[in-house]
Amino acid sequence: MDNFTAHYEKWQERVREEMKKKPERKEQFAASSEIEINRLYVPKNFDSAYMEKLGFPGEYPFTRGIRPTMYRGQLWTMRQYAGFGSAAETNQRFQYLLAEGQTGLSVAFDLPTQIGYDSDDPMALGEVGKVGVAIDSLADMELLFDEIELDQVSTSMTINAPAAVLLAMYLTVAEKQGASLERVRGTIQNDILKEYIARGTYIYPPKPSMRLITDIFSYCADEAPSFNTISISGYHIREAGSTAVQELAFTLANARAYIQSAVDAGLNVDEFAPRVAFFFNGHNNFFEEAAKFRAARRMWAKMMRDEFGAVNPKSQQLRFHTQVAGSTLTAQQPENNVVRVALQAMAAVLGGTQSLHTNAMDEALSLPTERSARIALRTQQILAYETGAADTVDPLGGSYFIESLTDELEEKAYEYLDKIEELGGAVQAVEQMYMQREIQRAAYHTQKKIESGEEIVVGVNAFQQNDEPAPDLLQIDESFVSAQHERLRELKQSRNALEVKHALKAVNEAARSNENLMYPIKEAVKVYATVGEIANELRDVFGEY
Amino acid sequence: MKKIRVLIAKPGLDGHDRGALVISQALRDAGMEVIYTGLRQSPQQIVQAAVQEDVDVIGLSSLSGAHNVLFPQVLDNLHTAGAEDILVFGGGVIPKEDIAVLEDKGVDKIFTPGTPTSVISAFIERAVRQKRDSGEADVLTPPAGIDHIGLAVKSIEEAADFYQRHFHVTAGETFSVPEQGVNVAFIPLGNARLELIEPLDEQSSIHRFIEKRGEGLHHVALAVSGIEARLLQLQKEGVRLIDEKPRRGAEGDEIAFLHPAAAFGTLIELVDDEEPAAETGERADGYVRKNQ
Repeated sequence: MDNFTAHYEKWQERVREEMKKKPERKEQFAASSEIEINRLYVPKNFDSAYMEKLGFPGEYPFTRGIRPTMYRGQLWTMRQYAGFGSAAETNQRFQYLLAEGQTGLSVAFDLPTQIGYDSDDPMALGEVGKVGVAIDSLADMELLFDEIELDQVSTSMTINAPAAVLLAMYLTVAEKQGASLERVRGTIQNDILKEYIARGTYIYPPKPSMRLITDIFSYCADEAPSFNTISISGYHIREAGSTAVQELAFTLANARAYIQSAVDAGLNVDEFAPRVAFFFNGHNNFFEEAAKFRAARRMWAKMMRDEFGAVNPKSQQLRFHTQVAGSTLTAQQPENNVVRVALQAMAAVLGGTQSLHTNAMDEALSLPTERSARIALRTQQILAYETGAADTVDPLGGSYFIESLTDELEEKAYEYLDKIEELGGAVQAVEQMYMQREIQRAAYHTQKKIESGEEIVVGVNAFQQNDEPAPDLLQIDESFVSAQHERLRELKQSRNALEVKHALKAVNEAARSNENLMYPIKEAVKVYATVGEIANELRDVFGEY
Repeated sequence: MKKIRVLIAKPGLDGHDRGALVISQALRDAGMEVIYTGLRQSPQQIVQAAVQEDVDVIGLSSLSGAHNVLFPQVLDNLHTAGAEDILVFGGGVIPKEDIAVLEDKGVDKIFTPGTPTSVISAFIERAVRQKRDSGEADVLTPPAGIDHIGLAVKSIEEAADFYQRHFHVTAGETFSVPEQGVNVAFIPLGNARLELIEPLDEQSSIHRFIEKRGEGLHHVALAVSGIEARLLQLQKEGVRLIDEKPRRGAEGDEIAFLHPAAAFGTLIELVDDEEPAAETGERADGYVRKNQ
């Protein structure tokens, strides 16, 4: 018993340390009945099972959270994914969201940018500026972050196959603003395996894609140490129709592959692993979701410590962003989505997310309007400031139900992880379509349950309403597409063609060697080579998948 | 009833294929034959696959907002391929006001999110049965007329001079078609035209034609629409073809030749003079304008 008392003492010491760096938001947290809310609630009698499975927040295995004071010290980052049309238009939306109290940026790029095509490429027809902002060159990136100080915000960029190019652009804009790269914070998604599995914006075959990722790990460890080099994503796996267990297992299987690939390339695990982040889905089943996040933390800590020998606690901490499930939004009675989003977001908060995106109610119909985007952000603010959910650490910890769910999710996820190991790891499993097939099976199963009425979707297969009024939807001004083409044409005329040619050649040559590709890519970006031009050099060497 | 064949397609760059995959599986379970194209298909590729696979229905899925551009292009390509009898339905993230526009343009049906798959399969079954009962699916429209009559001559200049002097009709510019080893010039004549063809050298097939049979009538060209579908249809009907796929003719149109043995000794050419989708101004096919 003394052993545990000693542990508790140690944890309290850790809390005092933390509070020196980051005082809690309030002197005292209390409920309406003047009941004081403690920082942490623990069982009266500790036993070894508690220490092994839960421990204290901020300590291995981090089941109860990665920080000792969690949201009492700092709320999660409210990070709404945004982007559409031109860089200038998106810059306006960013400035609006920051003015409304958002605390981090999250850039949505259009599909041509995500698949390495310039706006004037025939493949880009109909897609320019649609699901995100169109970025062709550094010139667009400069416009996107105009009047936003990049050493003051953290920016997440949903970019995968051409992640190196967009990261290089971001860092270059920061440098041009006079920011020190040491202090530039943000995240690139950079998770190519889930693109093959569920999201579809891959360009190159898996092996050279893995090399690009390793190059970024290594580059950032040396040059941009505060940047999250990858956000390993279960989100899209879940959106594609997986179960919670599959989301958990496939994400960790991919994570294992990235770590292994970097270790194989000679990188020191404790040097790059602290910058590895995760991205999960916040779905409907409230308690299962909260338990899922807790299980993920425990599994990751164990994998990093026992399998990869990571000793830095930051390497063992699973930090994650959550977006609530877009696929649960209904086109019918869209106002109901506000309620769905609030509950899904609450589960993510109870699960200890580091940042959160709440969907807008009209996203089953189109991109959000300013009004619906605002309501989505307000939903998070209500959770943070009105519900009290942020006032104690891991409020659900110790619940018989939650702990049992956490254990079961973990157990079932390990079954999948073992199966994937048998297949030779995540890269092989992806190539053999194993995960894709499992997800598809689950998606079809769900659809059948909805059609049979076994699963109720309010407003869709039950409680329907006729004569729904049409909601106001965001209209994107299509005239910007020709303006974007014109910008690109002017850029190509005004830049130094010879410099661009040399820089692209250097990218091509680096791709053929073992050289870290980030350096020549950054040089090419600086002389205004376009996303498409750089991607094409790599297509030339790597081929397309 | 013959099994219904369906092509499920993802036009554009959108990578979200959960819906496409679920619909594919559901239609298979409903007894249909379903082909799924995979991601990132251009409208041309989709129509090509639909014609090749001889499907009754195309289902388009887009969640990226590109539907207003890409769905109508699929319809245009179907028109060009003469395959308008193929039904087209769609789904994805499509706002209400776009649905009316797309259905106006000829998309048979847009299904909104949350539609049960049983509703979709029932729609397809009913629509295909109606189409098959009316029997129009297998009959292509007859040729619109004679596009031109091809005449093999030793010298375009001399032959053109003859038509100028005696009939007061003027030949247009002379095109060089090096890969066929010929020069050609057209003389407009009412609804049709005469095509004068002269050999470029002794390897030219026109040179051999003239050697063997003398100058004179070489071929008759019929103006048709949907050349690709028509060639498939002719093949199915057992007609011998020289070109199983259309190729570019002297004027950039899609053309193909039937074998003379198939048409009682006359060489028949098919010309599809539908405007090509993109007019770039520059000829990508390598033909050189001679008289300019």
